[in-house]
Amino acid sequence: MDNNSYILQMQSITKEFPGVRALDDVNLSVRTGTIHSICGENGAGKSTLMKVLSGVYPYGTYDGKIIFMGKEMKFKNIKESESAGIAIIHQELTMIPELSITENIFMGNEILRNGLIDWAEEKRRTYDILKKVGLSINPDILIKHLGVGQQQLVEIAKALSKNVKLLILDEPTSALNEADSANLLELMKDLKSRGITCIMISHKLNEIAAISDAVTVIRDGHTVESYDVVAGEVDEDKIIKAMVGRSIENRYPEHKSCPGNVIFEVNNWCVEDPDVEGRMVCKHASFNVRAGEIVGFAGLMGAGRTELMRSIFGKNYGIYRGGTIKIKGKEVKLNSVESAIKHGVAYVPEDRKNLGLNLLDCIRTTVVAADLDKITKRGLLDLNEEKIAAEDYRNQLKIKTSHVDKGVTTLSGGNQQKVVLSKWMFTEPDILILDEPTRGIDVGAKYEIYKLIHQLADAGKAVILVSSELPELLGMADRIYTIFEGSITGEISAAEADQEILMKRMTITSKE
Amino acid sequence: MKKRKLLSMLMVATMMVATFAGCGGSREGNTEPATTDTPAATEETTTEAPTAEFPGFEDGATIGVSLPWLGTQNWKEAEEMFTEQLKDAGYNPIVQAADQKVTQQQQQIESMIENGAKVIVVGPVDGSQLGSVLEQAKEAGVYVIGYDRLIENTTGVDGVVQFGSVKTGELQAEALLAGLQEKKGDKPYNIELFGGGPADPNAPNFFTGAMSKLQPLIDDGTLVVVSGQTDFTQCATPDWDNAKAQQRMDSLLSGFYSDKEIDGVLCPNDGIARACITACENAGQDIPVVSGLDAENESVEWVWAGKQYSTVAKPTEDLVAKTIEIIDSLKNGTGMPATQVNVNNGQIDVLVYELPPVVVTKENAKEVFANDPSRLKLLQ
Amino acid sequence: MKYIKQVLGGDLRQYTMVVALAALIIIFNIISGGRMLTSSNFQNLISGNAYVLILALGMLMVIVIGQIDLSVGSVAGFAGMVMALVAKNYNVPWWCAVLIAIAIGLLAGAWHGFFLSQLGIPGFITTLGGMMIFRGGVIWISHSISVPAPEQLKWFGSGYLPEWGPAFTGMNNSTLLLGIIGIVAYVVAQIRKYKRSGDATGVKDPLWAVVVRIILMTVLIGYFTWLFGSGRVGTSFPVPGLILLLLTIIYHIITQRTKFGRHVYAVGGNKAAAALSGVNVKRTYFLTMMNMSFLAAVAGILFVGRSTAAGPADGTSWEMDAIASVFIGGAAVSGGVGTILATIVGGLVMAVLNNGLMLMGVGADKTQVIKGFVLLAAVAFDVYNKKSGKSSIIGRLFPSKEEKAAN
Repeated sequence: MDNNSYILQMQSITKEFPGVRALDDVNLSVRTGTIHSICGENGAGKSTLMKVLSGVYPYGTYDGKIIFMGKEMKFKNIKESESAGIAIIHQELTMIPELSITENIFMGNEILRNGLIDWAEEKRRTYDILKKVGLSINPDILIKHLGVGQQQLVEIAKALSKNVKLLILDEPTSALNEADSANLLELMKDLKSRGITCIMISHKLNEIAAISDAVTVIRDGHTVESYDVVAGEVDEDKIIKAMVGRSIENRYPEHKSCPGNVIFEVNNWCVEDPDVEGRMVCKHASFNVRAGEIVGFAGLMGAGRTELMRSIFGKNYGIYRGGTIKIKGKEVKLNSVESAIKHGVAYVPEDRKNLGLNLLDCIRTTVVAADLDKITKRGLLDLNEEKIAAEDYRNQLKIKTSHVDKGVTTLSGGNQQKVVLSKWMFTEPDILILDEPTRGIDVGAKYEIYKLIHQLADAGKAVILVSSELPELLGMADRIYTIFEGSITGEISAAEADQEILMKRMTITSKE
Repeated sequence: MKKRKLLSMLMVATMMVATFAGCGGSREGNTEPATTDTPAATEETTTEAPTAEFPGFEDGATIGVSLPWLGTQNWKEAEEMFTEQLKDAGYNPIVQAADQKVTQQQQQIESMIENGAKVIVVGPVDGSQLGSVLEQAKEAGVYVIGYDRLIENTTGVDGVVQFGSVKTGELQAEALLAGLQEKKGDKPYNIELFGGGPADPNAPNFFTGAMSKLQPLIDDGTLVVVSGQTDFTQCATPDWDNAKAQQRMDSLLSGFYSDKEIDGVLCPNDGIARACITACENAGQDIPVVSGLDAENESVEWVWAGKQYSTVAKPTEDLVAKTIEIIDSLKNGTGMPATQVNVNNGQIDVLVYELPPVVVTKENAKEVFANDPSRLKLLQ
Repeated sequence: MKYIKQVLGGDLRQYTMVVALAALIIIFNIISGGRMLTSSNFQNLISGNAYVLILALGMLMVIVIGQIDLSVGSVAGFAGMVMALVAKNYNVPWWCAVLIAIAIGLLAGAWHGFFLSQLGIPGFITTLGGMMIFRGGVIWISHSISVPAPEQLKWFGSGYLPEWGPAFTGMNNSTLLLGIIGIVAYVVAQIRKYKRSGDATGVKDPLWAVVVRIILMTVLIGYFTWLFGSGRVGTSFPVPGLILLLLTIIYHIITQRTKFGRHVYAVGGNKAAAALSGVNVKRTYFLTMMNMSFLAAVAGILFVGRSTAAGPADGTSWEMDAIASVFIGGAAVSGGVGTILATIVGGLVMAVLNNGLMLMGVGADKTQVIKGFVLLAAVAFDVYNKKSGKSSIIGRLFPSKEEKAAN
């Protein structure tokens, strides 16, 4: 094959984080003037790969070669990759809502005349660029007054203003409605016809099928498959298989579950987005969990799983719009986290560093933090009891540390998660909600946490396991619910489920 | 490692020694360094009976001077004069300013006591908030002389040196009246009244003195206070702040003088006088007749230029000289000099040494400042 | 230096400021010819700074929750002024006026707490408003005139403990008693701690370390008892110092040993995580702000007592002194970090610096400049340590075994 026909070649890219190898010998070749889709599960390494490409992870922090337009590139930062002609449109939009379209487009690249900004020229150019993306609106409008779809187009316009050669779109339609999505796909085809190469990262197989010229599937930091396709004739099943097709033998400990009675029941749970009025993040969600049972929740990022769980946990997220909770057959109102804890519910959040831990704390104080009453005697905390509890969990969970007075930041991810689990086990809950409990944890620590989950189930606790790793759910759960866009789309016993069945219910495919 | 250990032990040891060495005090009397005390004690025993109440002290004794701040000319002058003249008189002066903070002044005075001062001269930030520190000074056998402002609400003060504040007010009012007759033709005259900083006990006295002259004329219609604001609290200028005075003048002018001429303003000091003149100029009024106080350089120039009608000089050197005279008297064991004026400060009657202030107008400026070369230079 | 570590217990970094404080005291004592370490100077030092240190206690908690309170000076001034006015104009007994002042503090705190916790207005803005409101209020109700305070209050602001009992002790016996109580309490606490130290790990603290600790503390308390107690007859450990001491102990216990204290640190460290651990974030905000204004009122009362009158400018820029003390004590601007004891040490560093410079006859202007540099240096030092992950100078002098093994 002629090398010159490739605009981008990433060769043997390997990127390691402490304890995790996020990318392992990944190869990606993108032909000039095509739309190239990259698929993979959450955490497969897609975003890391794009961060390597755009210089967020500078040259030298990864191994491998990036060849862009025939030359090897050594980007030190985003600025350098931008000036080479690579632009990324992120999932979360990065414009400043209080400024106008013009100001945002020329942010950092202002056109100056005599040291002052030449507004007339900027506006004229903005107008031209907006036309290219099919927007005919006043460039003085503030970004906050635009819809999400229009904002996305402005973001693309901003990239075009910098004379982009390669445009990377990270889940571009995840926040858009149908019409805006279709519009965006059309625009991509249009850009392609004008010679701009696009890389699209997406979960939506129907969109990939509609416009892609080539597909690369990444899984666990490896390139699994990479092949050319004909737009409109893509085999979605083949992609799904490639995305999930890993063996799951021996990664999960043996366990025989013996579920008891239903002790936790949620009915018709509805939650509204606190930021976007009228947008429901949970729509009439109903499910139940038995004592001693591990129930999995499968859903892609943004499907509403975390929102549902946090809202159940003392209405910690969103605006409650109806629904009931029954614990051990009795209806309860969990209006605060405190009351949820009192009713025996525990929630281990997915974002360990931002929601699970106070990073300034030491292990000892973290372990008891969710139930201080337990160590309070005559109004004062008994520091000795606290130390005993901490030592107890340190031994029980094999938390690797020299001393329980060490700060939690000194621990590895797996040990941090064990501390978080200790904190919730200390409250002696009946219902444990674990939101992505093994994210960012190495394989060995994962195995220990799986064993711990089994122990908890064996002790008669109802365990809810939220995960975007399907093999984990299949390996751990007794029963699995699937969520898509805030609705529960299915309930399958783990014995009957496989990854393809789950993935179909977690995404929109054009076949349904 | 061994060496470090040794070093740190040594450090600890020195710390201990140093701390214990520092405390040579005994339970009797206060714990000031005994060395400076002994000569005083011997002198005390040899002096005669009537002075036992006012024991003298030796030459070269420490004299503390605590001033409120150095933000205006007269305080800065006082600082320099005290430092210089006390040194010349053979004392060891500690002159400090408190930056307008009561707490700072309290601590300053305490550190002066600690430093073994025999006399502490206090120009108070707030005359009524030094009670316990001054009583502490008294217990430590330190003489306390109030400087320029009355010290209230305490038993710990021996005397106050100041310009007669009621008298000052009277002089200001008289100068204002003379100016009105001279410059503004026939009566009635439109005037406004300004008071000083309410936290300064002198300020109400200035105002009272001035009103004793002005009130009868207001009553008979010669003077008209257009705004009707004649209470001290209405007219006061918080913290003697010129900016606040100017703001008040601005609003008075826009509120009451849109169709009237303002003829005169009673101003308690020069800063406020200049602020009022500036406000009138900005409002397009003719410059009114104003009074002032302190003879600040800029105002002396303005008086000379005919912009500010008058100021009242309270020559700092007079005050300082009187204060040092009292200190000398105390040193010699002759106690506080006699005076006619006694003022009750809320707790006790305090001896007050009042000095007469001097009105300065363009006519007499040269004579008044004949002995003051720096101000004389301004009259060119 | 494992031994020193065992004696002092745990992290040596926290002793940096203590060493700085001791060094300052010694240096000033030498320069001023022994005038620093005298009974009367230390009595003055404590009663003259008690109000700032009391404010700093509350400010620490406010800063730990990640907020700041600019209103404390104004609230202190307002509470003091109301107290003086009520006592003077309505002829109520002095203790009644004191209670009214404290009530005013609590109300002011509730006001700030309401805006912060319920409406989510940042503490900086809320209390900036409060600062103007209460400063204006003081001037308004006082007509900018100082008001004499009830005579009895002087005892709170600058009084001394009573003299009693035998004279052969050569000290004020109240102070002596206080010192003895302090030593006994420390010994008992240490012994109890030692007895239970093995419960969790099965390994008891070394007995010799406990003994050395007790001896050191006994000497220290004993020395200060003697320093404060051996002054002129009629003087003792000052009453405002005693109030400060009690409050310090109470707030040390609140922050370290109660549920509320833990919540304060949790909210400051990570608000979202705290909320997900069952902490009522709003309530924590509210109570912390309310407590701050309560302490501001107490500080105002003490200050009026010492000044014998409430003035219209009372409390001006006190908040800055309190904030400086907290930061010199090692608190983090972003919240979550800081302790009561370190704050007191920070406040004492400022106080000793102020006092020492005055004894040397340095003017207020230069003192201010020096204090500014000290604040910057202390915080920069702290930040530098945290950033580079290095231990402090002391830590480097005495590296622990683990660190050496790691190297």
